[in-house]
Amino acid sequence: MNAGATDKAAAWIYNGLWGVLVEWFRVPRAAPETPAGHDGTAHSFNPAPGYLRYVKLSFWIILVIIDLALLAAWLVIFSEAGAVWALALAIPWLVIMIVPDVIAYIGIHLRYDTMWYVLTDKSMRLRRGVMLVRETTITYENVQNVSVRQGPLQRYFGIANVVVETAGGGGGESGTGSSSHTGVLEGVSNASELRDLIMTRVRQSRSAGLGDDDHRHRQEERGAFGAEHLDALRAIRDEARALAERGNARS
Amino acid sequence: MGNPQANPTEAEPLDARAITRPEPVLLTYYTVVSALALVFFPFVFLPQYFKYKTLRYRFDDEGVSMAWGLLFRRETNLTYRRIQDIHLTRGLIQRWLGLATLGIQTASGSSSAEMEIVGITRAADLRDFLYERMRGAKGLNEAPPAEAGSEPSETDEALALLHEIRDELRAIRERAGNGP
Repeated sequence: MNAGATDKAAAWIYNGLWGVLVEWFRVPRAAPETPAGHDGTAHSFNPAPGYLRYVKLSFWIILVIIDLALLAAWLVIFSEAGAVWALALAIPWLVIMIVPDVIAYIGIHLRYDTMWYVLTDKSMRLRRGVMLVRETTITYENVQNVSVRQGPLQRYFGIANVVVETAGGGGGESGTGSSSHTGVLEGVSNASELRDLIMTRVRQSRSAGLGDDDHRHRQEERGAFGAEHLDALRAIRDEARALAERGNARS
Repeated sequence: MGNPQANPTEAEPLDARAITRPEPVLLTYYTVVSALALVFFPFVFLPQYFKYKTLRYRFDDEGVSMAWGLLFRRETNLTYRRIQDIHLTRGLIQRWLGLATLGIQTASGSSSAEMEIVGITRAADLRDFLYERMRGAKGLNEAPPAEAGSEPSETDEALALLHEIRDELRAIRERAGNGP
């Protein structure tokens, strides 16, 4: 068996499938649009390759369990109902064992290739989904907290989930999937880097992230009075002082 | 035509203030989705038909409102600045028809979107329109145009008042000086 040839064939079939998805099912293949108004440091990326291996390992574990169960059931039929029944069932049994696995395996690759994270200096945009394409846009200004979650298997593959939460409830503790008020950067290899990047932005903002004015504090810093106001105030003080002195001199 | 991504956003920015009604293709979408319910078609289609018929949008400078309903009317109002996250969701049939659902969330407690804008074919452009107006999209060094316009007039008024007080004081002093 030529491993290179099978890889090539698999890649060819996979690309053909993508062509069908893009043409007929209008699945976007390119990265999501970058939110406007960034400073040019925006970058788009997929989850880390370790994430693909992690999902595949989980897939293989479940596959082995299910197929062993199916094999055991077939052996029970073989011993109880006889070889004729068992042989008649062999073909559909194999179909049941293999076809869902192939579909799931392709699905894993599609899921991986459709997961996109776009980070700019002001906001982030996350996309996932093949049939239902879902894009979430969150500005760092609105972020309340950032948490990093990592299980033992994920640690082995060197990946983690970065969960970004905005104000408002409802989002479950699931940790996967971008539900309401949360954005999940699933399966990234540079989780602490991304956490620092987002938290730096969050710290720079002095508002509560609840729709308050994001430049009110800068006005306070500057002071409500400008140089002209101070000049006018000084002139008023001088006038008042001169007036008082005149009054003192006369009395 | 169907893919909202294909729309050139730079060339022609969408002015959402002109949007008042969903586009007719939304009715097509509702019909297709209802058809999938087979025998339950009337029960699924009628509410959606009336939603389409009564749906109104109003985008102004500060916020957006959306209202629909025939018997039970509902209306949602929110301001751009209180938007927390924007979700653009496109299902298969929606992509075929060039539609999308634009979910807007504020910091309220509900997990579902506070407002779901449907029936806009230029949904990605509408998202840009909303994104540019939500907090944090402009950065810290950029004041929104509305405030930049109002701020100097306010300070000018304070300055004018100070000048008036100074002049009054000066007039008093001069009168006092000139008097006996």
